[in-house]
Amino acid sequence: MIEKGKISAFQLALMMNPTIFATALLLVPAITAKHAEQDLWLSPIWAAISGLLTVYISCKLNKFYPEKSLIQYSEQILGKIAGKILGLIFLLYFLHLNGIIVREYGEFVVGTFLNTTPMNVVMGSMLLVCALAVYGGIEAIGRSSQIIVPVVSLLFLVMTLLLVKDLDPKKLLPVMENGIMPSFMGSIVPSAWFSEFILMAFVLPLLKDSGKAMKWGVLSVLSVMFLLVITNLSTYMLLGKLTIKDTYPVMVAVRYISIADFLEHLEAIVMAIWVSGTFIKISMFYYSTVLGMAQWLSLSDYRPIVLPIGFLILVLGHWAAPNLQSLAHFLGTSGAFYMLTLQLGIPVVLLCIAWIQQKFQQKKDGGQ
Amino acid sequence: MRAITFFTKLNILLQISSLLLPVTLLTGCWDRKELNDMAIITAAGIDKKTESTIELSVIVYIPKNAGVGEEMGGGNGGQGQQVLVRSAEGISIAEAISMLQQEFPRHLFWGHNEVFVIDEELARDEDLRPTIDFIMRHPQTRERSHIFISKQKVKNIFSLNPPLERDLAEVLRNLAGLKIGVDITLKDLAEMLIGESGTAALPYIDILSPPESQDKKQTIADIIGTAVLKNGKMIGSIDASTTRGLLWLRNEIELAVVTVKPDNTEGYVSMQLLRAYSRLIPKIENGKWKITMQAKTEDDLIQNGTTLNTGNPQTIHRLEQDLKADIDNKVKEALKQVQHEMNADIFGFAEAFHRAYPNVWKKYKQNWDDIFPTVEVTLETTAKIRRPGIVTEPGAYPEQEVKTE
Repeated sequence: MIEKGKISAFQLALMMNPTIFATALLLVPAITAKHAEQDLWLSPIWAAISGLLTVYISCKLNKFYPEKSLIQYSEQILGKIAGKILGLIFLLYFLHLNGIIVREYGEFVVGTFLNTTPMNVVMGSMLLVCALAVYGGIEAIGRSSQIIVPVVSLLFLVMTLLLVKDLDPKKLLPVMENGIMPSFMGSIVPSAWFSEFILMAFVLPLLKDSGKAMKWGVLSVLSVMFLLVITNLSTYMLLGKLTIKDTYPVMVAVRYISIADFLEHLEAIVMAIWVSGTFIKISMFYYSTVLGMAQWLSLSDYRPIVLPIGFLILVLGHWAAPNLQSLAHFLGTSGAFYMLTLQLGIPVVLLCIAWIQQKFQQKKDGGQ
Repeated sequence: MRAITFFTKLNILLQISSLLLPVTLLTGCWDRKELNDMAIITAAGIDKKTESTIELSVIVYIPKNAGVGEEMGGGNGGQGQQVLVRSAEGISIAEAISMLQQEFPRHLFWGHNEVFVIDEELARDEDLRPTIDFIMRHPQTRERSHIFISKQKVKNIFSLNPPLERDLAEVLRNLAGLKIGVDITLKDLAEMLIGESGTAALPYIDILSPPESQDKKQTIADIIGTAVLKNGKMIGSIDASTTRGLLWLRNEIELAVVTVKPDNTEGYVSMQLLRAYSRLIPKIENGKWKITMQAKTEDDLIQNGTTLNTGNPQTIHRLEQDLKADIDNKVKEALKQVQHEMNADIFGFAEAFHRAYPNVWKKYKQNWDDIFPTVEVTLETTAKIRRPGIVTEPGAYPEQEVKTE
C-alpha cells in the first residue's frame, strides 16, 4: 500500500465532522432558508439521510474490497478500461470540488476580513499549509483533527450559548406552514454536503479497527446534523427572515453577540472556527485526491505529486467562479445535483454491481 | 574530510536560514491598518441637505486626547475635546463617505460605530431603505448599532458637548440600553422593514435644553418618543408617555415608574415596575380580527404622597386597580394614535396573526392595511404591588391623619 499510516475509526469520525460542517456553517443556512424559511432547522435532519446512506455505501464497498480505495475497486467492479475512466472522473471531480471549497474559503476571508488582500494569496497560503499536512500523511491529518475538532466544536457551542439572550423562539412559528415540502427543498443543498462522506471510501482501508467504521461514521453524520440544526435554529431565531438576505448569516449572528458591553466583537472566533475547520476539510479532499491519483497512476509513493496537485487546486479555485454570486448560485442550484450524482449516485451503482457480482461469485463457488 | 565538514556546515547554514525565512512573513498583514492609521467613527448621522443631496456627519474619536482631557480639567475647553465632528455632502451615503474621507488624513473605520442618527426631514421625505442597504452591506458596520430619528438636524446634535459622557455616541447608546423608549438595532430595523407589515418604530430624539445659565452646547440629546415608519418613510411620531403603551404591546417594557392619583384623596402614589411581561393572543372570530393583550406586572411602592395607609392590604388592592387603569390608558392611547390615526402595525399584530392562523393569513396578507385599523384589541392587565418599601404607613404624616378606610 502507498500509505503506511493507520488511523482509528474515532479519528476518522473526527476528521469527517469539519469536512462537512466547516463550509456548511457559512453558506448553507442562507441557501436553506431561501426554500424552507422558518422550517430551516428541519432540513439538516432530512439531509442527514444522504449522509447515512453514503456512510453505509462506503462501508459496504469496503467490506467487499477491504484493502482497496474507491479508485481501486471501481477498476475491479467495472473492469480495467471503464474503471480507469470512472477513476479519472472521480479524481477530476474531487479536484474541481476542492477548488470550489478553497474558493469559498477565499471568498469568505477576503469578503469579510481582508478586503484588499488578493484572493490567490489567501487561497495559496491555506493550500500550502494543507500540502504540509497531506505530506505528513493520514496520521498527521488524523491527529491534527483530534486537536482541532473538539476545540472548534466547543467554541461553536459557546458562541451559541452566548446568543441565547437575543433569541426569539416565536420566529420559528408557524411550523410547517406550507407542509413538509419547503424543508425538503431546503435539504437538497445540505444533502449534497452530507454526501461528501464518500471520502470515507478513500480512508477506510487505512483503519486500524475497520469493524467500528460504520458506528463512528454514523455518529459523525449525527454530530454534523446536530451542529447544523443548532446553527439553523439559533440563526433564524436571531435574524428571522434576514437569514435569507445575509451572505454569511452565522457570521452576522456571532457579530451580534454582546454580553454586558464587554464580550463583543467575537467574529474573530468565527474566523478561527472557519479557518481550522476548513483546514481539515481541504486537507481531507486534498489527501484523497492525491492518494487516489497515486493509486490511479500506480505510483509507489504519493508524495511527489502533492505540490503539483496543490497548484492545480489553486488554479481551479481561481477559475471556479467569476464572483461570489455565481459561486453561491452554482452551489444553490446545479452544484447540489453535480455533487449528489458523483458522491452518492455513482457509488450506489457501484455497490449494486459489486453486490450482483458477489452473488454470482458465490453461486459459481457454490456450484463447483 | 575537510570537504565533508564544509558541506555539513553549509547544510546546517541552509537549514537555519530556511527556518528564518518564515520570519519575513511575520512583518504584518497585507492590508494592515494600525490604530494610528485609523479614524474611529463612534457615531454617524445623515441630514437632508438639498432636494437631491444628503449630508453625512460623523463623530470621530481622538485617541491622543483621551487621557489628557481628564487631567486638564474643564479649564481649557478646546484641548479637552476627545471627539471631532465632520460633515460631507453627497447624493448617497456611499458618495458622502468618499467625500468625507478627503477631510481625514486617516482611514475611516466603521467597526466601532454604534449609533446611526437620521434626520426627521430626510426620514419623512425619502425612502430610508437605500441607506439601510448601505449600512447592512458594509462589512465593517455592526448589526447591533442603534438607530435613531432626530427631530433636529443631526449636525447640530453631534456638535453638543455632553457633560457626563465621553461623546454623544456613548450618550445615545446608553440611553437606548436603558430601554426608556424602543431600542432598535440595525438588525431589528431591517427585520421590521422586510416583515409582514413593512413598518418600523425608531426612537425619536431631540436636544435636551440645558439650564439657562449654562452653555448651550453643554447638553445631550434625549429620547422624546418614538418615530413611526411605514414603507421606509417616517409617517409620524408619538410622545414618551404614549411610547410606554407601545412598549407594553411589544413586551419591551423594562424601566418605569408609574404615578397614579387615587380617588378621594389628595396627592399621588408612585410605583416602580420590577417585572413586566405581556403577550399578544390573536383570534379570528366570524371574520372579526381580535387581539387580546395579556400583561402582568409586579411593582414596588416607592412614594406615597397621600394619607392612605399603605400597610392595609385593601388600600394596596385599590392602588393595584389604579395602576392597571394607568397601563390600560397608555396602551389605548398608543393604539389610538398608531393603529387608528397612522395605520402602522408596529406592535407585531401581523406576525401574531401569521403565526396563529397561517392559512387565513395567506389569503388576507394583501389587505392587511385595511384590516389592521379594524382589529379589536382587548386588554387583560393584572398589576400586583408586592412591597410597600421599608415603611408601611405614610412616612411623614401624624397617626391621626392617616386614613384607615
